[in-house]
Amino acid sequence: MARPILMPQVGQDLTEGKVTAILVKPGDKVKKGDIVAEVESEKAVFEVEAFETGTILDIRYKVGDTAVVLEPLMMVGEEGEKLEAVPAPAAEAFSGEDAQAIVETAREPIASPAVETAHVTETAYLKTGTGGSSPLARRLAVSAGLDIAAIPGTGPKGAVVKQDVIAYQRSRSAETASVVAFRGSASQPSSAAGSGVLKTLQSGTGDPVLFIHGFGGELSAWRPFLSHLGITNPIIAIDLPAHGAAAGAAADSFDDLVGAVRNTLRTQDIGRLHLVGHSLGAAVATAIAGGGDLDVRSLTLIAPAGLGPKINGDYFAGFLSSASETVLKAWLDLLVHDPADLPGVLVRATLAGREGTAMAQNQARLAAGIVSGNTQLFSVRDALGRFGGPARIIVGREDRIVPPDQAEAVPPHVALHRLAQVGHLPQLEAAPLVGRLVAQTIRSAG
Amino acid sequence: MAREIMYRDALREAIDEEMARDKTVFIIGEGIAERGGSYKVTEGLLDKYGPKRVRDTPIAEAGMIGVGVGAAIAGARPIVEILYIDFAMLGMDMIVNQAAKFRLMTGGDGRVPFIMRTQGGTGGGVAAQHSQSLEAMFYHIPGLKVVMPSTPSDAKGLLKYALRQPDPVMFLEHKHLYMTKGMVPDGEHIIAFGKGDIKRPGKDVTVIAWSNMVPRTLEAAEKLAAEGIEVEVIDPRTLVPLDKEMILTSVAKTNRAVIVQEAVRRGGVASDIASIIQEEAFYHLDAPIEIVAGLNIPIPFNLELEKASVPQVDDIVAAVKRSLHAKPVAIAAE
Repeated sequence: MARPILMPQVGQDLTEGKVTAILVKPGDKVKKGDIVAEVESEKAVFEVEAFETGTILDIRYKVGDTAVVLEPLMMVGEEGEKLEAVPAPAAEAFSGEDAQAIVETAREPIASPAVETAHVTETAYLKTGTGGSSPLARRLAVSAGLDIAAIPGTGPKGAVVKQDVIAYQRSRSAETASVVAFRGSASQPSSAAGSGVLKTLQSGTGDPVLFIHGFGGELSAWRPFLSHLGITNPIIAIDLPAHGAAAGAAADSFDDLVGAVRNTLRTQDIGRLHLVGHSLGAAVATAIAGGGDLDVRSLTLIAPAGLGPKINGDYFAGFLSSASETVLKAWLDLLVHDPADLPGVLVRATLAGREGTAMAQNQARLAAGIVSGNTQLFSVRDALGRFGGPARIIVGREDRIVPPDQAEAVPPHVALHRLAQVGHLPQLEAAPLVGRLVAQTIRSAG
Repeated sequence: MAREIMYRDALREAIDEEMARDKTVFIIGEGIAERGGSYKVTEGLLDKYGPKRVRDTPIAEAGMIGVGVGAAIAGARPIVEILYIDFAMLGMDMIVNQAAKFRLMTGGDGRVPFIMRTQGGTGGGVAAQHSQSLEAMFYHIPGLKVVMPSTPSDAKGLLKYALRQPDPVMFLEHKHLYMTKGMVPDGEHIIAFGKGDIKRPGKDVTVIAWSNMVPRTLEAAEKLAAEGIEVEVIDPRTLVPLDKEMILTSVAKTNRAVIVQEAVRRGGVASDIASIIQEEAFYHLDAPIEIVAGLNIPIPFNLELEKASVPQVDDIVAAVKRSLHAKPVAIAAE
């Protein structure tokens, strides 16, 4: 029985790669471990091994082709064996999270491509949403954490377009209203604060680790960082009010943010967890950890705000008022020590995220409540002192948003790492090291 | 204040004002002096500025363009009027190999403020050798500015700017536009190159058009508005330099782009603008970029066939609807 040798998945976000070398031809005998092909992702060339001994029966690609991850590159079997019909794409073709999304939405069948095609890779291409969907729809789906393949398309030939993503998002948010915490409970009747939106980025065992992004960020920005963690705990992340999927929710103050996260956790019945936060999100994490009501196992603060009065107020003003890519990039460059580290997509994604949502308006409203000129209007210094568990602060020495020296005077039980040639985004600029440090903090809690 | 005048009058005002202001400005061309030009742009200028500065030439485009380029290098500000853009092909060596290159090859010491005013496009069955839209030929050549005004106001403001800046300018008018009217501001009215103009704001689809395709697109926009579709009409006014920022900002808003050009589709400016949009605004696009362009054929003499060979209002309407996935009602309701 012929078995496929699959295009391997290297890297979380890789969906396809280029075939740079085919080292066998049909009829060749291979044994387990033989290198049969080389494929290339964005950054690296890697080798594809035969997984078992046999004869190459069929090669699906030629050099230069683009192969879809986890699709068969070639078939291997007994010499002289006749190939049966092309097997369906492997069910594992999606990462855990994607698979979950598909299961959740299985009642809505994926619109089948109107053009019948015998070529397995092309079908898969359409299924993964990179063919039958508009670029805008794909981007919106990614930023909303949706799997485009699960969204029914109504565009030309069943393509998924902007309208479809928005309609799908609406229908989903209606369904999941019960699990998304909306602030407005009796305890804070007067608050204008909205909700956070939680998303599971990795399933696992043990206490969950909650990641909280900074001002202007969103939960999906953590994704590339997660590969550097190497932990098996469940990983969840939140979109704070005025950000990401919670862009429509308003928050007027730091306390509103903390309240929104607390309520979101309460609604999800999460009472025991690790916290990792960046910048403003680190301050929120600290406030929660210092509150004592939740069982916070460990606290990792990356470039935290709230430890001193100073902050780069110009950045907030510039970030919020930037309407063009050029202008926004000039401000976002301040986030990193080396502008080359700033992903180009961030600029566009930020501008795009503001479209059609109240994000810009809500972020400006929030900024007014947390920053005045170059002063932070909140402090979590006391809260940090009250937290007795394992705590670690990681700052970049070249941080131009929050002065790194404000982290100097932390309580002595808190570890402080000051990274040279790193700015305000250590999790991006020094991802492997920061990943290791976060993992160590979590593990040290036992 | 502003007055309503014709496109050709606006051009004349620009030339007149700049000739009065700057003694190095002169104009030559076929029948432009005593006859006042075939499109009456230069009427009255001979009497005002005399035969040394307003001069008729023989029917010899290569010679006229050569004189203009040489005079510009020597420090004058010549305007060479070429009756039909089709005839400018006779002067291509002077334009492409001399005028466009001189600044670079002299390390910036030599400048060529040479203005070629000419007109193109279809109109009235003047057949294959008098109807072409050849902006892409000049657009392709680094070193040339390409200006294509669609209104009297733009024509005046851009021509005055052309006569004050230091590089060769292909000032491409349209035979259909000379008699069109529009408001032109009183007093000094100058429009810098590289600034597009939103001729009609809208939120649903960005339509980019220039020259005579602008009024045609505005007509299409009017029809679409009756169906609840709000088209944003962008006129880049100068193709080189191109106001990318305005186009990309609009596309980011509407997520859809339609580009309308009268010139033949193949190798056209519309294709280049489409490539810029897909490269720089790819993740803003919710539909394929539509190009509405002339057919890849010589313009036929027969009026009906001429009409069929270049974009008409209904073609633009149809392209806009395609870009909306033909579900305008749903989009408008969003």
